Amino acid sequence: MPKSNYDYPGYERSGARYWSKTTLMYAGITFGALLWSLPFWWMLSTALSADPTAGGVSLIPQQVTLANFEELFATQPVGRWFFNTLVFAGSVTAFNLVFDSLAGYALAKIEFVGRDELFLLFVATIMVPAMVTLIPVYILLSNLGWVNTYQGLIAPMIANPIGIFLLRQHFRNLPSALGDAAKIDGCNEFQTFYKVYLPLAKPALATLGIYTFVMTWKNFEWPLIIASDKSMYTLPVALFAVRNQYFTEWGLVMAAAAVIVVPVIVVFISAQRYFIRGMTLSGMKG
Amino acid sequence: MSTPDGSVRASFRRAGSALRSTASRVVDRPSEENNLAGILFVVPNVVVFSVFLLGPILYAFVLSFQEWNLFLGTGEPAWTELFGVSLPVANYVDILQPWPWENNWASLRSPSFNLWWFAVRNTVLYTAVVVPVQIVGGFLVALALDGRIRGKKVYRAAYFLPVMLSAAASGVIWRWVLSKNGVLNEFLRPVGLAYGWANSPDTALGALMLIGLWGGIGFNMILYLAGLQNIPDELYEAARIDGADGLNRIRHVTWPNLRNTHFFVTVLAIIGTFQVFGIALAFAEGGPARATTTIVVLIYETAFARSSFGRATAMAFLLFAVVFVFSYYRYRIEQQEEVGY
Repeated sequence: MPKSNYDYPGYERSGARYWSKTTLMYAGITFGALLWSLPFWWMLSTALSADPTAGGVSLIPQQVTLANFEELFATQPVGRWFFNTLVFAGSVTAFNLVFDSLAGYALAKIEFVGRDELFLLFVATIMVPAMVTLIPVYILLSNLGWVNTYQGLIAPMIANPIGIFLLRQHFRNLPSALGDAAKIDGCNEFQTFYKVYLPLAKPALATLGIYTFVMTWKNFEWPLIIASDKSMYTLPVALFAVRNQYFTEWGLVMAAAAVIVVPVIVVFISAQRYFIRGMTLSGMKG
Repeated sequence: MSTPDGSVRASFRRAGSALRSTASRVVDRPSEENNLAGILFVVPNVVVFSVFLLGPILYAFVLSFQEWNLFLGTGEPAWTELFGVSLPVANYVDILQPWPWENNWASLRSPSFNLWWFAVRNTVLYTAVVVPVQIVGGFLVALALDGRIRGKKVYRAAYFLPVMLSAAASGVIWRWVLSKNGVLNEFLRPVGLAYGWANSPDTALGALMLIGLWGGIGFNMILYLAGLQNIPDELYEAARIDGADGLNRIRHVTWPNLRNTHFFVTVLAIIGTFQVFGIALAFAEGGPARATTTIVVLIYETAFARSSFGRATAMAFLLFAVVFVFSYYRYRIEQQEEVGY
């Protein structure tokens, strides 16, 4: 447990001044936290109310009903959208783990010509705004006939400089002596990577995997451009389309929003440690 | 050579490190074998990077000097007269035409109108508010949640959850929160302040800033919490012995020791807010009356609603230049501070 300035001997943890300060701080952060979660409550209560647009929805719905969800699932291919998003996020994550662990290992542990220049080139692409590349990639993919296909959705997302950076960093911190020993024992470079280093990179792979999965799951920009057919929507694009179609029926729209948000909350509760670590690392070093 | 502990263990250590350095000289010299192995390992990434990032960046640069021909599906040089010479810079010249906006919302609805400067105005306003507030806000929340707080995890989760949401979800949910029958007006109606916050061009950009802050503060909180772990406790102790109260400790110990965190938090915030797109599109599609048309929303529309790929990539490169200049400027400040230490 990290220490903070409260942990010091001599820092008074009693007295009127301390207690009034503490109460004030708790009041502040509690108010902020309630304010921050207000949109979520509002979304849920609207989705569970019968007719929210008639006015006067309260934060606690008078009559809880699943009618909005029933209508949404009856009129829209929600299952298909869910499946699309799962395929999209799952494939991008799998490709990233394989490609980036290979590249990250080579950039950290193999001395080959142009290695450092290549790494710089990979990392420099973090700076480039997505819109610079999305337009040419869209033109390329429409020439290939990959618009509204899974390969079109997935392929451009595989190039991920942050993943390479993260795994290179991790492999660099592992001792080179392990690889030297493996090679003296007769392992070739791939065996050294696969049998010695990769098992040691499991925590980093978990971090990168969960981070990539969540970031791809919530990606809105790219699927919006490449998936224009209703059957190829991912959930964020589908929510946008549902909003445009049922603009005034907020109960239905919020039900669609809840379909996206609830799995995110579940993932968040079970894997937030990894996601936060991925975000902190990529934020700091990227 | 005798080591301080002069033990058997130390001599083993020396032997081990000698062996290691010999081994690494044998195994790790940049040989042809290493070159082949290294290249085979990076080849999958080199291919996807070339096809989906590096190649497209080069092509985008060419495209930004071209006019897209929708029927042929190719670009043609976009010529224009500049200083008496014919140059293929029509896109850039058109985009950068002086600002014709005369505080007239109606004129901005015309699709033929040059919206670039208006989008720049929206984006700069958005950045100018969101960047400082989300950094200071994130810092304060991190400070509050770093100490001995009961239920720390629940508080952190509450502030962090919006970061996990898709921009589409944030934009759509907030559209309903801020609409006429929305929850915000539930609280404001008793005071007589109920208003269609999302539907008025005067307040829509402010609403967008709220959405940005909703996610941004949680994001920066996490980065600051990580930064706070790296401040040695001895510094606080020394400050306390010198008689610094809580506020002074924050000002003279915490804040200056987070220099690295401040740096990447500002760079990330600038890069992120200049490119704000998803929440603006999902919130109101750049409306009402163009009030939330940011630079990237404009690029998206120009490219995918009007198929003006050439002009859109030219805008994207201008945005790239702005983001780059700001990040570089912030980097220079960082360098100077380091020298000053």
